[in-house]
Amino acid sequence: MEGNRGSSQRCALLRKIKEFTRAIVQDLSIGRSPIVLIDRFRVHCTNPQANCCCSSVLPNGKEILTLQRENHVHRLDVLLRVLLIVQQLLQENRHGSKRDIYYMHPSVFSEQSVVDRAINDICILMQCSRHNLNVVSVGNGLVMGWIRFLEGGRKFDCINRPNTAHPIPVQVEEVKDIVSVADYILVVEKESGKRLSRYPHQKQMAYDAKQLRCPEVCWLGVFPSDSEKYCLPQQCFLPLTAEDKKKAETMLNRCYLQREVPRWRLELELMLQRGVKFEIEALSVHSLSFLSKEYITSKIQGGVHI
Amino acid sequence: MEDLCNSSMRFFSDQHLCFADIIPPSEVRARIEVAVLNFLRILTSPAPAISDLPLILVQEKRVTQRELFYKLLCDSPDYFTSQLQVNRTIQDVVALLRCSRFSLGIMASSRGLVAGRLLLQEPNEEVVDCSACGSSGHAISGDLNLLEKLILKTDARYIIVVEKHAIFQRLAEDRIFNQIPSILITAKGYPDIATRFLLHRLSRAFPDLPILALVDWNPAGLAILCTFKFGSIGMGLEAYRYACNVKWLGLRGNDLQLIPEQSMVPLKQRDLQIATSLMSSEFLQENYREELAVMVQLGQRVEIEALYFHGYGYLGKYIAKKIVQANYI
Repeated sequence: MEGNRGSSQRCALLRKIKEFTRAIVQDLSIGRSPIVLIDRFRVHCTNPQANCCCSSVLPNGKEILTLQRENHVHRLDVLLRVLLIVQQLLQENRHGSKRDIYYMHPSVFSEQSVVDRAINDICILMQCSRHNLNVVSVGNGLVMGWIRFLEGGRKFDCINRPNTAHPIPVQVEEVKDIVSVADYILVVEKESGKRLSRYPHQKQMAYDAKQLRCPEVCWLGVFPSDSEKYCLPQQCFLPLTAEDKKKAETMLNRCYLQREVPRWRLELELMLQRGVKFEIEALSVHSLSFLSKEYITSKIQGGVHI
Repeated sequence: MEDLCNSSMRFFSDQHLCFADIIPPSEVRARIEVAVLNFLRILTSPAPAISDLPLILVQEKRVTQRELFYKLLCDSPDYFTSQLQVNRTIQDVVALLRCSRFSLGIMASSRGLVAGRLLLQEPNEEVVDCSACGSSGHAISGDLNLLEKLILKTDARYIIVVEKHAIFQRLAEDRIFNQIPSILITAKGYPDIATRFLLHRLSRAFPDLPILALVDWNPAGLAILCTFKFGSIGMGLEAYRYACNVKWLGLRGNDLQLIPEQSMVPLKQRDLQIATSLMSSEFLQENYREELAVMVQLGQRVEIEALYFHGYGYLGKYIAKKIVQANYI
């Protein structure tokens, strides 16, 4: 069952795909090489002064693909094959994953990253998100609490079933009639229900980034500086692995960290300096209800989030 | 500490055929007190490990194994330094008290999903129709007490256990359970106890329904099938409780002709380790052993998605044909 919004969006996309293909065929019929222009986006760089023009919204130049260059030929071949599959998905209103698409022509695609790039290119050309193309991955998210919504005719009533975690539907664009009386939204990293996540880092998914990123997200916890405030025993600290350190350093190099969330940067530097990390579960050492009854409540009431 | 480990006090986790009961918190407390008193009689030092559990049970709260690890790390740093140690001790406690981990108050989250021709009803709640749950299916609760009380109704003829979430989503979206009257169930990978529990309940409630597994053609896929079928060796005494008679529908060796060669992927080191471990198991039946041998010999594995080479609709046709021909082992 579909909302009208979904089907009109699909029709619009199918028209765009037709237009795009027609332009190429037209060029070929008069012996001219078609030119495909793909906007380039740079979401972040490693400029330490952070006075760059990185943005997840504005393009930073264009790539020009033509049939006159041999390495472009293969890339266009891949792009058109993926586009054909996407068109079929939209026409049948089916959903597929990037992996599925790879397996449809494994000899041509040769590896998954080739398909991934083609999908990104198509998103940029059609100015839409991957979701709009009906290319999805499995839904990993869960939601619970003071919210109720509809999706594809089905009711998700989290308010009446407060102890159940409901899987977030895959067709997120079909969600409508969201009703909530909550004061806050808590984004939790782990399924054990207890950690908070930072906002998602998008590398090349420009249009996805627009729909997926949430600049208003604040970091509630856990901070390295919490360990003193909440008297965490020494034994609860785990050493940072080589991979952790590398990840931290990579993040510290990202321009947006300095520009948009400098206080996050400070906490990250502190973590790296101390060389230790700790999990949210460690907060339950004093008492099982410490996390929900004291930690989160005191942080929210105290406005202690960055 | 060395002496403690080498003492003649051997725990019961070596015994395979004991039963771990599901009992209420008050009885668990009583058993703990008896066990601790007996334990103290043998050793001079107190047993710190078990002492926290009565507190948790009295509050009727639940704790994850990770939280228990941190508690023990702080309270008894001499005895516990790793999660693995904590998990093994918990298994020993299960063996000592002869009750399930769930009864001890240890919670694990459920990853399972179910879809298809099944009506579920919690007592005094609304009926949930799993065929109207969309492509995400209905999430299986992690609460075993709740699962035990569910009222189940079905008109399905088969139960299809799916290894991967992506395949489950595809089959649910295509509503395969309306073409082949069936129930789809997945643990999104390695089976968790709640999913196995529900599958076990379904197999007891509807014993005429064959249970068919759809897994990738690789040692890990076979290991998942075996876990549903024989139990989880890592769970000690609770290993065999929820075993079900699962049959291997696909992918199998005779399906390789349907797959283009480029879709095969080389086996990783981990796959070979799993293969060796499975081969050494006394439970593995001969025909499964043969399949495993072919995998190792070819050095390749195949994901179910490789079938999409023939188009999106092909997976449904493949499953239907195999079921109709009763082509499962």
